[in-house]
Amino acid sequence: MSDHYDEFEEEEFTTQFNGRTVARIIGQLKPHWPYAVGFLVLIAFVSFLDSYFTFLSKQIIDEGIVAQDKQALVSIVTRYGSLIVIQALAVFGFIYLTGILGHKVRYDLRKAMFAKLQQLSLGYYNRTPIGWIISRVTSDADRVAELVTWGMLDVTWAVTNIATALYFMWIINAKLTVLVAVILPVIVVVALEFKKRIIIQYRNVRRINSKITGHYNETITGVRVIKGLRREEANLAEFSELSGEIYRAGYRAAWLSALFLPAVQLIAAFAVGSVIWYGGLQAQVGGISIGGIQAFISYITFMLWPIQEMARVYASMQQAVASGERIFSLLDSTPEVVDKPAAFDPGSMQADIEFDHVDFAYEEGKPVLENFNLLVKQGETIALVGPTGGGKSTIVNLICRFYEPTGGVIRIGDQDYTDFTQRAIQSRIGMVLQTPHLFSGTIRENLRYGRLDASDAEIEEAARMVGAHEFIMKLEKGYDEEVGEGGGLLSVGEKQLISLARAVLAQPDIFIMDEATSSVDTLTETLIQQGMETLMEGRTSFIIAHRLSTIRNADRILVIENGHITEMGTHRQLLALGGHYYRLYTQQFRKDAEDMEEIKPEVALAYGD
Amino acid sequence: MAVVTLSNDELHGELDNSSDNGSDNNFDNIPPRDAYDLKETVSDGRWRGLWRLMTGYRLTYLAAIVSLAFGTAARTASFLLVAYFVDTYLVADEKPFALPLLALAFVLLAAVQGGFTFLSGKLAASTSEGVTRRLRNYMLDQIQRLTFSYHDHMRTGELIQRATSDVDALRRFYAEQAIDTGRIVMLFTINFGALLYINWRLALISVVVIPLILIMSFFFFRKVSEVYERYQEQEAVLSSRLQENLSGVRVVKAFARQPYEEEKFEEANSEMYRRGRRMLMMHSLYWPVSDTLSGFQMLLGFTVGALMAINGTITVGEYLAYASMLIWIIWPIRNLGRLIVQMSTGLVSFGRVAAVISQDRENLDLPGFTPPDHLEGDVEFCNVDFAYDGTDAQVLQGVSFHARPGQRIALLGATGSGKTSLVNLLPRFYEYDGGTILLDGKPLTDYPRGYLRQQIGIVEQEPFLFSRSVRDNITFGVGRAVSQEEVEAAARAAAIHDVIVTKFPDGYNTLVGERGTTLSGGQKQRIAIARTLLKDPRILILDDSMSAVDMETEALIRRALEGLMAGRTTFIIAHRVQSLMSADQILVLQQGRIVQRGTHEELLAQPGMYQSIYAAQTRMESELEKELSHVRPL
Repeated sequence: MSDHYDEFEEEEFTTQFNGRTVARIIGQLKPHWPYAVGFLVLIAFVSFLDSYFTFLSKQIIDEGIVAQDKQALVSIVTRYGSLIVIQALAVFGFIYLTGILGHKVRYDLRKAMFAKLQQLSLGYYNRTPIGWIISRVTSDADRVAELVTWGMLDVTWAVTNIATALYFMWIINAKLTVLVAVILPVIVVVALEFKKRIIIQYRNVRRINSKITGHYNETITGVRVIKGLRREEANLAEFSELSGEIYRAGYRAAWLSALFLPAVQLIAAFAVGSVIWYGGLQAQVGGISIGGIQAFISYITFMLWPIQEMARVYASMQQAVASGERIFSLLDSTPEVVDKPAAFDPGSMQADIEFDHVDFAYEEGKPVLENFNLLVKQGETIALVGPTGGGKSTIVNLICRFYEPTGGVIRIGDQDYTDFTQRAIQSRIGMVLQTPHLFSGTIRENLRYGRLDASDAEIEEAARMVGAHEFIMKLEKGYDEEVGEGGGLLSVGEKQLISLARAVLAQPDIFIMDEATSSVDTLTETLIQQGMETLMEGRTSFIIAHRLSTIRNADRILVIENGHITEMGTHRQLLALGGHYYRLYTQQFRKDAEDMEEIKPEVALAYGD
Repeated sequence: MAVVTLSNDELHGELDNSSDNGSDNNFDNIPPRDAYDLKETVSDGRWRGLWRLMTGYRLTYLAAIVSLAFGTAARTASFLLVAYFVDTYLVADEKPFALPLLALAFVLLAAVQGGFTFLSGKLAASTSEGVTRRLRNYMLDQIQRLTFSYHDHMRTGELIQRATSDVDALRRFYAEQAIDTGRIVMLFTINFGALLYINWRLALISVVVIPLILIMSFFFFRKVSEVYERYQEQEAVLSSRLQENLSGVRVVKAFARQPYEEEKFEEANSEMYRRGRRMLMMHSLYWPVSDTLSGFQMLLGFTVGALMAINGTITVGEYLAYASMLIWIIWPIRNLGRLIVQMSTGLVSFGRVAAVISQDRENLDLPGFTPPDHLEGDVEFCNVDFAYDGTDAQVLQGVSFHARPGQRIALLGATGSGKTSLVNLLPRFYEYDGGTILLDGKPLTDYPRGYLRQQIGIVEQEPFLFSRSVRDNITFGVGRAVSQEEVEAAARAAAIHDVIVTKFPDGYNTLVGERGTTLSGGQKQRIAIARTLLKDPRILILDDSMSAVDMETEALIRRALEGLMAGRTTFIIAHRVQSLMSADQILVLQQGRIVQRGTHEELLAQPGMYQSIYAAQTRMESELEKELSHVRPL
């Protein structure tokens, strides 16, 4: 079962500890340093008081009870009481400062990452799964913020607590303090080793748990197939292997954690036993008081908490540092497409577009375009046809400057287009994708995305122009209808109409469209055709075409195969050529009309994906 | 199925993990408590439900709680030992036992305490993990056996959440919250009992603020959990905004809307900061106040206790024991409110899980059914009506037709005309409401669903592949061992073998899907065809199989489908006239009724919907014909 899943999460934990990353994580506090200083001072003070309270309890016993001195008792109790109030104020202070600081760091990190993400080029997005990026912005930012605030707080509290406890113990009895100081490192080492093992177990549980979620997800989304193939028993058997795995891992993790405290406590008990032994011998000779013995027992017993906290922070620190590394790797990514320092906005992209000996590769050594040449006159409509992976989308991506050529030049109006700003080019391109992306919100909001200052009348006008107005008005709330996440409440055809209207609003100089391959009902398809024609008027247009009517109406058709233009010309010219285009075209129509047996297998294979 | 037995297994199963080494995935030798039908646990009372959910593990859990009591008692005993030591050895200066022996006794008490604490943790873990495992398996089985009507109304994310986070909330209920509550109650009861024994007045004085702390903590944690929920809601808003921005990156860039996007994200981001700060304010007020209350309660106890010790009402040793116990009574109480609130979320989770469990499953088998030697595949619809559960809208009305064995029946009609609903009735994904469907002359309801689904093959519009190897996906529904030759033969027939061998990185072992190779629509479809070929069904359903494919791939799929349809009764759903012209019968559907029927030629001859669709779709084509006649191919 386990090899059905990629062990993606593994990578999260193998990151090496890196001092520079730690420094950079702590550097996140810099803009808010007064908060950091404030909470550190306050927590140290609170921690000191925690130790001092135990010392005061000792004084109650020795100077009050044993000395039979009510006067002294009253004065100790008064001091104790006022310190409780002071400590409460300090507690308020550190919770507030630490918490605020944490939220500030989270906020800063999220903001910085989002801003970076807006700059990064499309290449980054093709390499990086969206889920990965989202975890960086949410859980990784949380972990880093947690470490520099509550993590640092806990460690400061723990270290101060142990140090001040040792100081008070030293005041009470130096010899016994040495004994404690010997046992202390043993406890710390045992605690750390334990925590490390427990953490590994819980990671294991989490890893299996994500497989379990995956299995549930597949069972639900694929329930039709499971039922249709009558596969229920086999599916349950596979799942119960997984649930058995997580049972064993979870059980192991749980009993290991259950062993942690008892084990550490037992070591401490030896220290307490020694105190009793030693105290029994020394008390009579005045080596240690009754209150002193009680104080030692308390200090030793409660020293387990700071140690446990330190072990916890230590364990989570590795993860937080790994989180930090991933965040910084995102923040340090450089966009592949950068504006030149002198880049400018020529004010218009109404010009000829020329590909001059253009080479391009997404990955080194795997060229997609080679020595590609093309001159497109302003206002021309170009239809791009050819097999998947042939380079059609690449040409479009290059025009949009989502990528830049690895060799050669692309010119818009005789000027290398890298001399322009990206914004100058992209804000003048209207784009309609094969599966159009809408944002959640109303139809109106989505249309307005094309031009943010468009009035409602202009929006309606644009919708009318592409023939989207009718279907929008049929919706219950018209333009105020919610489209759902990713436009999920609309059909593909409707989404295309809306994205056409959105492109109309943007009044682009260049129009790019990737036609939908999926079935759209006949009426909507006619509307889309009309909408496209509206948009193509007077604009330089590039259409990745699947519909034959589109292809035929284009000024020029380019058959793109293996990164080259294999055929170019008008519909008639290409048909007369009798080459690829001819076969493609006739295949599409003739095979529908004629018997399927007549399709020549070699034609079919030539266009196989 | 519903066996509730409290066997010896109760006590032994836990610590004996040998039966759990994972190699056995058959269900004959699982202990009875794991075969317990969880439907029994569904109850109006949620506490009762949680109790029933533990069936088979109750004694183990009880043992965990008893161990907890022993552990706590050992701790209190060690306080009393210190008291005895101080009073006898130090104050009275007597030595009834050797000093090292006394120190040893202290260590032993710590060992007993640790031992029981550990045992309690281990037993509680085995209960919670065991109950959870049973629940997880049951949920999965439940999910895959629920009816389609249920799945239609339940969002995927919601169902996953119930099966994962809600189930995990129940695990934490048993593993942490119930046990921690038990621990606090135990600490309080045992230490308070010992205090009463030392001096009842002192004991009562020591707990005066406890009701106040309890009430405060309960209200605080209830409020803070609400505020926390709002914080998490905002986090969900933030990540979905991010998700949309990232998946729409081309649109954002194409419209150069980065500043606008940053502004929108800033809104979500700063709202999250504000909600975080609100939650923080509550914490920074509660803890100091509760610290102060607890602190003064302690101080009051110390003072009164010290005065009593000075006056001789209690001994010095008793005072020391008292001071230690007081800490263990007061500080843990502050967390009780948190646990109560968390347990109430556990109860909510139980309700959500129980709502899934209580649903009726689809019955796959029919007692007394003997499968016929050979299914002909003769399908007859007689006046069939159908409406989806809970709706009045008739999806199918008076549908009648007869598909003879091996015939191709094409269904044509607009979206929502009832084509898919019609074919969904055949594998009994849904049950029809009126009329009859006959399969080989017998009512469809006489055949168990499981049998029907083995006999019917479906190739979906957008085939679903599982994230496992290509080979596993092809053999997915066969239910028997399949040789590599058979798999390859099926793949060849589906025109996908060459692609698998030459284009996929690991051939037949290539992983499919999110974490593997991404397949094109056409490739998926051909794998689905290979899968169906291998299953060798008598009846075939093809749901508009050309939509997700570019025109070059279409030919390949057509060829594969031709092979698949041969000799099988086939139902084809199509949007385009061209893909159903060769059918033996074409049924034109409109709003759930058959408005036209016949062969292509017959339908063309009569005026009606078919003719007009055909005319529209072939207009361009005839233009093409004309065009082509002008050019001379080489």
